[in-house]
Amino acid sequence: MKEVFAKYSPFQVDPKELEEAFGLDENSFDSANESEKESMVEMHKSISYWADAWRRFKANHVSMVALGVFIVCMLFAFAGPKFVPYNYADQLRNAQKLGPMEYSKQEQQIKLIEGKCKAFYATALRPGSITALDKGNYVIKKGGKTYAFTLDQIWEDAVIMYMPSGIDAELIVVKMKDIVSDGSFITYDVVNYTDTAAEDAEELSLVKRVFPHVFGTDSSGRDSMVRTMFGARVSIIIGIIAALIVLIIGSIYGSISGLAGGTVDFIMMRIVELIYSIPEVLVVLLLQVVLKDPLQAWFDSSKNPFVKGLGDLGSGIVSIFITFALLYWVTMARIVRGQVLQLKKQEYVTAATALGASSRRIIKRHLLPNCVGQLVITTCLQIPSAIFLESFLSFLGMGVSAPMASLGSLCSDALQTISLFPYRLIFPAIILTIIVLSLNLVGDGLRDSLDPRLKK
Amino acid sequence: MLLYILKRLLASVGTLLVVLAITFFLMNAVPGSPFITEKSTPEQIAAANAKYGLDKPLIVQFKNYLVSYCQGDLGVSLKMQEGTPVTDIMFHQGKFQLSIKLGLIALLVSVIIGIPLGCIAAYNRGSGLDGFLRVVTTVGVAIPGFVLATLLLVTFAVKLQWLPTISGSLDNVKAYIMPIISLSFYNTCYLAKLTRTSMLDAINQDYIRTARAKGVTTKSIVIKHALRNSLIPVITFLGPLIAGIITGSFVVESTFSIPGLGKYFVQSVLNRDYTVIMATTFVLSALVIFMNLVVDIAYKIVDPRITLSSRED
Repeated sequence: MKEVFAKYSPFQVDPKELEEAFGLDENSFDSANESEKESMVEMHKSISYWADAWRRFKANHVSMVALGVFIVCMLFAFAGPKFVPYNYADQLRNAQKLGPMEYSKQEQQIKLIEGKCKAFYATALRPGSITALDKGNYVIKKGGKTYAFTLDQIWEDAVIMYMPSGIDAELIVVKMKDIVSDGSFITYDVVNYTDTAAEDAEELSLVKRVFPHVFGTDSSGRDSMVRTMFGARVSIIIGIIAALIVLIIGSIYGSISGLAGGTVDFIMMRIVELIYSIPEVLVVLLLQVVLKDPLQAWFDSSKNPFVKGLGDLGSGIVSIFITFALLYWVTMARIVRGQVLQLKKQEYVTAATALGASSRRIIKRHLLPNCVGQLVITTCLQIPSAIFLESFLSFLGMGVSAPMASLGSLCSDALQTISLFPYRLIFPAIILTIIVLSLNLVGDGLRDSLDPRLKK
Repeated sequence: MLLYILKRLLASVGTLLVVLAITFFLMNAVPGSPFITEKSTPEQIAAANAKYGLDKPLIVQFKNYLVSYCQGDLGVSLKMQEGTPVTDIMFHQGKFQLSIKLGLIALLVSVIIGIPLGCIAAYNRGSGLDGFLRVVTTVGVAIPGFVLATLLLVTFAVKLQWLPTISGSLDNVKAYIMPIISLSFYNTCYLAKLTRTSMLDAINQDYIRTARAKGVTTKSIVIKHALRNSLIPVITFLGPLIAGIITGSFVVESTFSIPGLGKYFVQSVLNRDYTVIMATTFVLSALVIFMNLVVDIAYKIVDPRITLSSRED
């Protein structure tokens, strides 16, 4: 570059001085690269609807925090049970009515059972979930000798046993997976030794690290935290499925009504008004009771795997879905109809009609995609209302059936012992409130970002 | 206007009929009858069915219900208080009055507290007070009614023993406090939120700016101009609010042991006391539908721009 300056400058100035005076550097005269060219273009790169909405949503700190909280709740509900060594239906003996962060002595200690041979039973890591092996006699082979022992309880992960005095007194751990089908062990690892004096002891105080019951246990010895996790899972699933049902029925009904117009619209809207003024809670309660037995019979008789899956959810939950399908779609239908009434006058709808598109295609390809913002918002706000309804029904003794739990049923179970164990109500109630609160706030944020016209 | 009211009244009667029909056929869709107990023989059941007319075809039974309702007769209880006329249970035993009293007070409390709170929040927009109210109302609409009711019960009745555990038939002032708070808290919060939003909407309108420019005081702007116009969406919410208070009363009445209509309805459903189910459904839905009608008419009076034929949200 210096050469260029030297060659063309009439004043023969020192290029260094020029560079300093004009703030230029060596690269100033290179041809512009791609990004520099782009920065000169005045037009912005076109941003898709979703990217734009996401940009607005991100700017809304409250909604972002709420979304984060909801994701944490989802993790708590769906991934949580994997990290807790208890199951929602297991009733742990001697571990009833524990407070938060407690665990029972029996869970902590390894017990010596008197018998033909002294065997210790390990603390259950996941008790009760294996039933493949029955109670009975087993043999163990070590060093060419066979020792018989009795098992009266089988734990999934391991059996710790105390060997008879024929060999060195020792504690051995036998992995459950090493038990072959005829009930004999094939391998084991020695993990610990005790002295022979301990043979006579009733209980060996071998303290084991136990996963505490973080939220305590209930009166049947079930771990409350796992139950809360499952309850949150059930509640969230109910909320989402109910909202989807409302979305499907409401959007189809509303768009048909709006697009058809005229008499069809009039009749369809009268039906909506009629359903709208039905005191739904009365009908919901009736439906709960009425549908219980027929649904159960249907679940029991059917061989269809889908129906079986519904049966696992329980008749209470399924009747909640039916209730939503019958009564709760009207708000969605009204909103969609309102949108469709505006949209159907647009040119692209006229164009589609002129090109011979069927009503079905117009609704599917043109109308519904254009009210997606409203659909998402209304669906999102429907979830907490479904969760509320379910908890209300569970409180009145309907809703999910035991041993399944929902946040509402956990709260209502806790009510009987509320003065003794208030924390049993507080934990599920707080989780329920957090889920509903975060969903409400996410819904508000969605409304502001997906439909900026509505922003207040 | 008169024509509109007449039309709406007719539509309300239609809705009531549909609700009764749904209730009746749902109720009868359940196999079994209210008379089956462990001891009863088929003959006894048949006799009881014949006595109360349950052996007639469904459509005749339904017609009988409607005819007797038109005559003001709600039938007799089949199971819970066998043989007692339902009107006696509801009105003479005070269940209806109790629920209505509770519901009306809760409604008043929600309106009297909720709307001014919304106005205050809107007029102090962005201030600490507004922020505080926003947090309270947002959390308030996320707390289920029964949780609030139970927490109140445990804190003030069981632990602190300031208030009675059993509210009974609400014969002293202390007994009212907790049921009313639990019934009105959600609605108060919701109303405050709603009023704040619609108030903010109204404040930004041109006519408010004009009023300000003319030198009208803030107080008079709020009361005369902004509030009137911001009440429209609030009135729309009153219909669902009344229904919500009835729903809430199911929970509140069972939590605080109040022998009201809500609790009675839940019991009648669980007991399959057909006549009581039908009668309570009739009374409660007539109430809700009537209140919806009143709200619709009020809506029309407040905002004459609204078209009469259909209500849009």
